[in-house]
Amino acid sequence: MSFTFRLMLRDIRSGDLVTLLMALIISVSTVTSIGLFIDRLQLSFEQESANLLAADRLIRSDEGISNDWRVKAQDLGLQLAERTSFSTMMFANDALQLSQVSAVTDNYPLKGNFLVDDTLFGTGFAFNESPKTGEVWVSSRLASLLNIKIGDIVEVGDAEFSVAKYLVRDPGSSTSAFAISPRAVINLADLASTNVIIPGSRVRYSLLLAGARDELAQYEEWVTPQLKEGQRWRTPTQQGERIGDTIGRAESFLLLAGTLAVVMSGVAMALASARFVKRHLMQVAILKTLGATPKLLTKVFVQQLSVLFVAGALIGLAIGWGMQEIIASLLAGLMSTELPEPSISRLWLGASTGLVSMLVFCIPLMLRLIKISPLSVLQPNARIEQNTLFVYLIGFVGMYGLMCLYTNGFLLPSIMTVAILGISLLVAVIGWSIFKLGRSLTSGATSGWQIGLASLYRRLVPNLFQLLVFTLIIMLGLILVGVKSSLIADWQQQLPENAPNHYLFNVQSTQIDQINNETDNLNIERSDWYPMVRGRVTAVNETSVQELYPEERGEPELYERELNLTWSDTLGQGNELVSGDFNAEGLSVEQDVAKEANLSLGDELTINIGGNIVTLPITSIRTVDWGTMQPNFYLILPKSALQNYPANFVSSLFISEADAQPFYKTMSQFPTVSILNVGDVLKQIQTIIGQLSQAIQLVLFCILSAGALVLLASVRSTLEERLEEGALLRVLGARSALVRQALLIEFGALGLFSGLIAAIGAETCLYGLQVFVFNSEASFHPLLWLLGPLIGVCVISAIGIFASRTVLKVPPMLLLRGL
Amino acid sequence: MANSTAIKVTNLTHTVTSNTGNLTILKGINMEIQESESVAIVGSSGSGKSTLLGLLAGLDVNTSGDIFLYDQPFSSQNEETRALMRGQYVGFVFQSFHLLPSLQAIENVMLPAELKGDKDARKKAKELLDKVGLSHRLTHYPNQLSGGEQQRVAIARAFASQPKILFADEPTGNLDEENGNLIIKLLFDLNRSQGTTLVMVTHDNDLAKMCDRQLIMSAGHLTENKL
Ligand SMILES: Nc1ncnc2c1ncn2[C@@H]1O[C@H](COP(=O)(O)OP(=O)(O)OP(=O)(O)O)[C@@H](O)[C@H]1O
Ligand SMILES: [Mg+2]
Repeated sequence: MSFTFRLMLRDIRSGDLVTLLMALIISVSTVTSIGLFIDRLQLSFEQESANLLAADRLIRSDEGISNDWRVKAQDLGLQLAERTSFSTMMFANDALQLSQVSAVTDNYPLKGNFLVDDTLFGTGFAFNESPKTGEVWVSSRLASLLNIKIGDIVEVGDAEFSVAKYLVRDPGSSTSAFAISPRAVINLADLASTNVIIPGSRVRYSLLLAGARDELAQYEEWVTPQLKEGQRWRTPTQQGERIGDTIGRAESFLLLAGTLAVVMSGVAMALASARFVKRHLMQVAILKTLGATPKLLTKVFVQQLSVLFVAGALIGLAIGWGMQEIIASLLAGLMSTELPEPSISRLWLGASTGLVSMLVFCIPLMLRLIKISPLSVLQPNARIEQNTLFVYLIGFVGMYGLMCLYTNGFLLPSIMTVAILGISLLVAVIGWSIFKLGRSLTSGATSGWQIGLASLYRRLVPNLFQLLVFTLIIMLGLILVGVKSSLIADWQQQLPENAPNHYLFNVQSTQIDQINNETDNLNIERSDWYPMVRGRVTAVNETSVQELYPEERGEPELYERELNLTWSDTLGQGNELVSGDFNAEGLSVEQDVAKEANLSLGDELTINIGGNIVTLPITSIRTVDWGTMQPNFYLILPKSALQNYPANFVSSLFISEADAQPFYKTMSQFPTVSILNVGDVLKQIQTIIGQLSQAIQLVLFCILSAGALVLLASVRSTLEERLEEGALLRVLGARSALVRQALLIEFGALGLFSGLIAAIGAETCLYGLQVFVFNSEASFHPLLWLLGPLIGVCVISAIGIFASRTVLKVPPMLLLRGL
Repeated sequence: MANSTAIKVTNLTHTVTSNTGNLTILKGINMEIQESESVAIVGSSGSGKSTLLGLLAGLDVNTSGDIFLYDQPFSSQNEETRALMRGQYVGFVFQSFHLLPSLQAIENVMLPAELKGDKDARKKAKELLDKVGLSHRLTHYPNQLSGGEQQRVAIARAFASQPKILFADEPTGNLDEENGNLIIKLLFDLNRSQGTTLVMVTHDNDLAKMCDRQLIMSAGHLTENKL
């Protein structure tokens, strides 16, 4: 066994290496567990959203799918299914009804399930098959409109089908606004025999794909350049914009949490390294007097650190893996679906965090250690030049780099770095003044109060450093708590329990009163009615859209398709005026689409409404809260411009599960009215939000536990001095009650001030995060100002007393000998 | 061959920078110490004795002048070489013992041999501890030993590398008379039995007189005491 390892074994016995190893393990395991967990959540969200798409990826096309695309997908080993959707008349007995039919392959859907029922207007159960040939599944509404039941025969074009199931939900088309007629599903193999698809019919073809991420990405790269007008590549997260948004924010949060974990592990590493170096200064000096050369010492430390790193990384990765398994299993009961397995490839993140924090915090200190003059053994003041600034600079740069690596960007790390620098400055200024004040208030050392407060100033620099560590950890915790609560509150507010989940379209003005009566009888909440006229923007400031955007791609949403136009005298619920005058004789445009098309007040839009052309200036810009699920419009025109066109009306309603059956039955009186049910999507979003909230709480708990460990390590790092002092005090006759009181006062004061400063810092950071990262409104968090000092005093006193309990128990003689 | 020169010092000066300005501690010292000699350096507190000892042992770099160990330039070497030469020629005993607190007595004594890659380190350390009368304390940690015992371990460690020159800075300064005498006896015994050159800083006149030569440090100059 080499000298290095013998020294190392002896060091392990003394506990110094263990502290370093612990810090490394904390670093690696927190970052690993959070990284892995985030990965699993992301995969899970992707899967859940895939259920809404019925596939991992989808190509939607207005013309038939080219065979090359199928062949390529098969070559890549992807699963594929197809769906062809079209509007057609269905006949049964003497009734006929326009309906939305999907013809699907046997293996459809690739993700998620059909929801079907055997009783009319039932709530449905998941069904893992698609219709067999000759079968049709019809929605309950279609069944009641056609007056048919299971076993009856319906005609679609030239073919006959027997009704096999009542369709509650087709996973792949729940959000398609195109599909507002009652639905039916048949097998794709039967499509040809119906002969309903003739050249010129409006048909939507979908190629559904599922498979591994890499292959999907490869396929996307291959297929997107071939996409023509009317063809789209779709991913799950684009599907419902709101889901994408919710998940996006949750990911930002988890990323933030991970970043903070990186900072905490940096702090832990810095503390442990500093302690290690301090304890080894004399040892190295002595070894040098015994003839150890710098080369040998460098070799010894490099070897020691390598062994340490390998051990710490392995143990840390194992613990991290275990921890995220525990988090996941705790969450399992709350999740509707099973979390996918984490990807092993994410492990490198934890390991590299450990490596980098070791490199930036340990190595510079070790270099200082190796440079110590052997003269120190004779002259304790002949230590090494304190190149501390340089050391901290390296640490800072390293942490910044790690955070950038972790978040894949610069914004979050920059905010955090500025915050940490600001806090350090604040701590230095406030801490120094307070300690000084405490000192001048207490002369003589007779009570625990006086001893406690006086010692704050006596060990000024270490105490300031300790204050900084406490403040940083508490601040990081407070930031997470703040972000978490505003995020969750935001979500809950966004989607209230009874947010409208159905839309009524194609309602004639003569039907409005009747429908109002029926829904009132059922006690169903309903939004206002909005008139709706279809129209298309054809020119901007007299330049035609074709001229502005000769290429299909990049065309702003506002010009891309036919829009629903409305008029209104008052701003609807969830609308807010940004600029201009809503009641002026002009257009009111939604802010985001206006931004996308680069429009501002005064620009003139030419709109083609059923062949007639109107040109109007933009007179107001609004924001719209899409989360209210009210009917909302990109463009609102003045009443005068629209009132002469035939309008139909739209409204949104909330229909509870219990109301669904009577409601659908009632609505079958109005066969021309289209009903769009977005309840499934909403439920999905609510489930995801629920899971996210739980996940976020757990991650928060994890990080805070890691934070507590770092606090403990930080208190331990000053333990020697405290032990020495406590022992001295007791030798000098102080009762241990007095020593305990003094320690309590000292830690309590440190905790109180760090809590206060942390609250200031957290509030400032939250402002930056809300404005720049989460893109939400900045808000004030009174809770933090209570929580900060409270946690500071309680937790830090508790940890302090716990860590220094030996000061009070061990006979003073033993302590003095050991020092 | 008669006595060869163990240490040769020419025009040694040492200046340090402190916060009150430059301070010249050693002002042109010349001396020679022969092999196997025992030399005491005496002088008032703060006169520069420890500084000189530190320079002789290569623990620090002097400002000007030269130090030779066995006719090899020593002070002009880099730290790497000086460390190697220290390992080869020099042993050190300190006033405050300077044992490694995390190592057992025997492990402390094994260190020098281990640094040289000696396989028999443990066996030799045992013999040395036996010689200083501590065979029953092998696995004790420094904080479990009395001051005198710690200094005996330190002496055993200093002799473990079989140094040609042993430096001792007030080796008895922290000990009572009885323990001090024991330490001194050990030092001189080993000095005689192994022919080790002994250079010792002390405040104790009786101890100084036991040495072959006495050098007096005063105001940065070194004079031979020829009483
Ligand atoms: N690195 C340094 N910086 C500033 N002053 C120093 C330094 N090293 C030594 N001195 C000063 O040089 C003088 C000589 O120190 P040294 O330790 O050699 O004295 P000494 O003779 O060993 O004293 P004592 O008998 O008390 O041990 C002292 O006044 C000391 O303060
Ligand atoms: Mg001295």
